Amino acid sequence: MTAILVLLLAMLALQFLTPFWWWIMIVPFAYGAAAARSGWKAFRTGFFAAGLLWLGTSLFLYLTGSGIIATRMARMFGLGRSWLMIAATALIAAVAAGVSGYAGYSVRALVKKPAK
Amino acid sequence: MRWVRAIVSLVLAAALFWGLDNRHGTFPALGKLLNPFAGFWQNGSRSDAVPENLVVPGLLGEVRVVWDARHVPHIFAQNDHDLYLAQGYVAASLRLWQMEFGSLYTAGRISEVVGPVGLKQDIFTRRFGLPWAAENAVRAFRNDPKTREVVDAFTAGVNAYIRTLDRKGLPVEYKILDYKPQPWTDLKCALLLKAISYSLASYNQDAIMTQARAALGEETLDRLFPFFPPLVPPVIPPETPLDFTPLPVPAREKPAGPALGATGTPSGSLLSDFDAPPSGAFLIPGFRTGPGIGSNNWAVSGKLTRSGFPILCNDMHLELSLPAIWYEIQLSAPGVNVRGVSFPGAPLVIAGYNESVAWGFTNGTDDVLDWYDITFRDDARAEYLHGGEWRKTSIREERIKVRGGATVVDRVIYTGYGPVVRPKDEPSIAPASIPAGAALRWLAHDASDEFSALYALNRAGTYAEYVAALETWDCPSQNIVYADRDGTIAIWHSGKFPLRWKGQGRYVLDGADPRDEWRGWIPHEQVPHVENPERGFVSSANQLPAGPGYPYYVGWDYASFERAARINELLAAARDVTPADMIRMQGDVLDVRARAVLPRLLDILRNETAGETEKKCFEELRAWNFEWRAAQIAPTVFDELWTEIVRSTWRDEKKGKMEWMPGPASEMMVDLIMNSPEAEYFDDRTTAEQETLTEIVKRAFHAAVANIEKRLGRFGEAWKWGGVKDTSLGHLGQIPGFGRKLPEADGVGHVINAIDTNWAPSWRMVVELGPEVRAWGNYPGGQSGNPGSRFYDDFVDDWAVGKPYELVFLKSADEPNPAIVALTVMRGGK
Repeated sequence: MTAILVLLLAMLALQFLTPFWWWIMIVPFAYGAAAARSGWKAFRTGFFAAGLLWLGTSLFLYLTGSGIIATRMARMFGLGRSWLMIAATALIAAVAAGVSGYAGYSVRALVKKPAK
Repeated sequence: MRWVRAIVSLVLAAALFWGLDNRHGTFPALGKLLNPFAGFWQNGSRSDAVPENLVVPGLLGEVRVVWDARHVPHIFAQNDHDLYLAQGYVAASLRLWQMEFGSLYTAGRISEVVGPVGLKQDIFTRRFGLPWAAENAVRAFRNDPKTREVVDAFTAGVNAYIRTLDRKGLPVEYKILDYKPQPWTDLKCALLLKAISYSLASYNQDAIMTQARAALGEETLDRLFPFFPPLVPPVIPPETPLDFTPLPVPAREKPAGPALGATGTPSGSLLSDFDAPPSGAFLIPGFRTGPGIGSNNWAVSGKLTRSGFPILCNDMHLELSLPAIWYEIQLSAPGVNVRGVSFPGAPLVIAGYNESVAWGFTNGTDDVLDWYDITFRDDARAEYLHGGEWRKTSIREERIKVRGGATVVDRVIYTGYGPVVRPKDEPSIAPASIPAGAALRWLAHDASDEFSALYALNRAGTYAEYVAALETWDCPSQNIVYADRDGTIAIWHSGKFPLRWKGQGRYVLDGADPRDEWRGWIPHEQVPHVENPERGFVSSANQLPAGPGYPYYVGWDYASFERAARINELLAAARDVTPADMIRMQGDVLDVRARAVLPRLLDILRNETAGETEKKCFEELRAWNFEWRAAQIAPTVFDELWTEIVRSTWRDEKKGKMEWMPGPASEMMVDLIMNSPEAEYFDDRTTAEQETLTEIVKRAFHAAVANIEKRLGRFGEAWKWGGVKDTSLGHLGQIPGFGRKLPEADGVGHVINAIDTNWAPSWRMVVELGPEVRAWGNYPGGQSGNPGSRFYDDFVDDWAVGKPYELVFLKSADEPNPAIVALTVMRGGK
C-alpha cells in the first residue's frame, strides 16, 4: 500500500514536470529492480500506482472541461461512450506499469536470490 | 528459468514501450496520446478562457484584445505592425493546426506528416506548380514595403505563439498524428493564397472539351456550350454603357480543328490515355476544385431600402469542414477599423466592412488556365518546339520527404508556359482534366500581391479607393460587390485577364505556335463593372460576367442560371428592404429551374404512373412548391428525375470515349425542354425508334423512382431530402468523430441557400451601411479550431437554420458593450 502511494506520488511529480508519458514504465521498473519483494508485488504495485494515477487525473480532467474532447476521441477510436476513454487510459497505464515493474524485478532476480 | 523469465518480461516491457511510443500506420502513439498530463486530455475547454495579460515578443506598444461572447477577438493596436503581429498570434492561438496543415498541403509536403499515403497528392501539388507559384508571390510581397510589413508582422505573431507551446499545449491533431509545428514563414501566407486560387481558379475542362471537339466538331460544341447561354442574366446588366475605349483584341488566325502542333499530332492521340480521376485520392476539404463551387453577393441601393442606406449581402460557398474555413475578427489601429472574416493563415480581413464601406466576394469563375501541347525534340525532353525554333526546358527538382520512408525526388519539366504536369508516358497521377504531355499556363503562377489589395480594401472609405484597391487583385478573379454609406453600390468583376480571342483556351492550345500565347492583358479599368445601375441593385452568383456588348473574352464555363435568376427576380420586386428581409433571402430555397420545367414534365407524366410508389411520387411533385426543404420528399424525386433526364438525353451522345464529356449546363436543358421538345438530342441513338422529350421523360421517371426505391427502400421517411442530401461537416484531416452531420439543413447547390452535401455558404453576411453600420453574420463552425472547445462548432445549428448573429463592431477597446466578456492585454517583451 505504501509502495503504491510512493510510486504514485513519484510518477505524479515527474509527469507534472516533464511531458513524457514513459515515467509510468520507468518508475515501476526501477521499483521492481530495486525494492520489490516479489514479481507479483512488483506487477501489482506498478499496476495500481500508474492505473490510479492516470484514472484519477483523466477523471478529474473529464469532469473539468475535457468531456467534449473525450467524447470525440471515443468516437475516433470507435468506442461508444466517452467514459470508456477514462477506462482505456487507466487500463493502458496499469498494464504498461505492471509489466514494467515485473520486468524490473525479474532483472534483479538474476543477480539476487529471491526473498523467501 | 530466471533467465527465461527475465528475457521474456523484458521483451514484453520493451514491446509495450515501443508500441505505446510510436504510431502504427495511422494508429496513434497511445502512450503519448492518452497521457493525461500532456496528451489529448489537456485539450479540453479550459483553454477557452483567455489570459488577461500576455507578453508577446516583437510588439512595439500595448495591444488590447477584446473578446465577445462568441469568442470573436477585437484587436486594438497603436500601429500596423502591432495590429498584424497580434492578429498572427491570435489566429494561431485559435487555429494553429489548421493553418499549418493547409500550408503543408499546398506545399506538397503532406507526406511528411501522414507518410506514403500522402505521396500521390504531394507529387500532384508540386507538378501543378503550387509551391513555385507561392515562391513567385513571396517575391512580390517582399517588393511591396506595405505587404512586407503586414506579412512579416503576422509571421512574427504566429511564431511568437508557437514558441509558447509545450507538448501539453499543442492542438490535439498534432498529438494524434504525432508531430510538431514548424516555424511560420511568409511563404506559408503565400501558399494559402495559392490554395485559394487552386480551389477557385483552376477548374477547367480543356482536355475533355478537346476530346469532345474531335468527336463532335466545334460547331456542335458551340451550340451545346454557347458563350452566351439562354436564361442567364449577366453580372453586369447588359444595358450598362462602356466607360472606356477598348483595346484591339487578337484575332484567331487559324482555323479550328482537331489537328494540333507543327508535328500535326491529332489531339485525339494526345488524350488517348484518358483515365478516370483516381479514387480515394487524399484530398482535404477546402482544397478540392469542382463545378459545384458558387457564391452569392448583392447590394441594394438606398432607393430600395427602408433606412435609405444601402445594404450589402454576401454568402461564399466553399467546402464544408471543421475547423471552419473562416474565423471572425475585428482589426483596429490608427487609419483602420475593419470587421469581418479572414482565413486563419492570412493577415487582414478578407470579406467584411469598416465604418464607411462594405465588400464581399463571389468567385469570378473565369478561364485563366490554359494547356499547351508540347512537341519535345526527343525523349530527353530538354528542348521543345516554339515558333520554329528549339527552346530549352528547365528542371525543377522536387524533393518530397516521406515520413517513415525514403525521400522521393520528382524532376518536373518546365517550359516557357509553365510545368508539364503529366508527362505523356507516365501513368495518371492526376485528375482527368490534366492532358498528358501538355504544359500548364496558369495565371496563379505569376507573381502577384493580393494582400496589398486587401490592405487597401480594409482601409477604403470611398468608391474611388475601392476601385484603386482592386488594381492589385489578380487571382482568383472575383465579383467584388461594394456599398458605402454615401449611397454608392457597385460590383467589379475584378482580376487579371489575358487578352484573347473569343474561346481561346477552351481547348488545348498549340505550344509550338506563338500565336496561341497570351498576348497582353485587359487594363484593370476595363474589367466588367457597374456603379449605381438604374435598377437599384447589383448582384452576382458566379454566372457569366457580361453580355455580348462587352468587348473582351474572359471565359465560358460559368455557373448555371438558377441562383442568379432567383436573386435578380427577388431584388427586382424588392421595396422598403430591411436587413431582416435580406437575411430571409439568404435562406431562400426556391428552385427556378424546377419551377420552369416541372409543369411540362407533369403534363407528360399525368397518365403515366404505374403502381403505388410512382403515384405517390407524382403527387409529391404535383404538390411541390419548388422549395428544397429537408423535410420534403419532392426534392429527392425531382433530383433523381432531373439526373435521369440529363443522363438519358446525353448518354448516347457521350458513348465510349466521351464518358467524361461535360454535360451541357442546366439552362441548355431547360431551354430544350421548354422550346425544342423534338430536338435531335432527345433521340436515343441506340434504339431504332425516334424518341422525343415525351419518351425520355417517361423513361426517366420510371427509372428515377426505381433508383430511389432500390437505394432507400420503400417510399417514406428515408426519402426525405435532408437525409438523402446528408450534409456533412468533415474534419479537415479526416479524423473520424471530429466532424458532424446536418440532416435537418434545407437547400441545394443551385438555390440561394446553397447548402449541399459538402458545399455550403461558408460565411453569410448582411451589412446595413449608414451613420452607424450594423451587420449580421454566421458561418458553419466556431471560432476555435480545438475539437475539445465549446467554440469548435457552436455556430453550426443556428447556421443550418439560417439564423445569423448581430456582429459586434467596436469603435474603441473601452467602448462598453454587453457582449464583451474578456480582455487580453498584450505587451512586448525581450
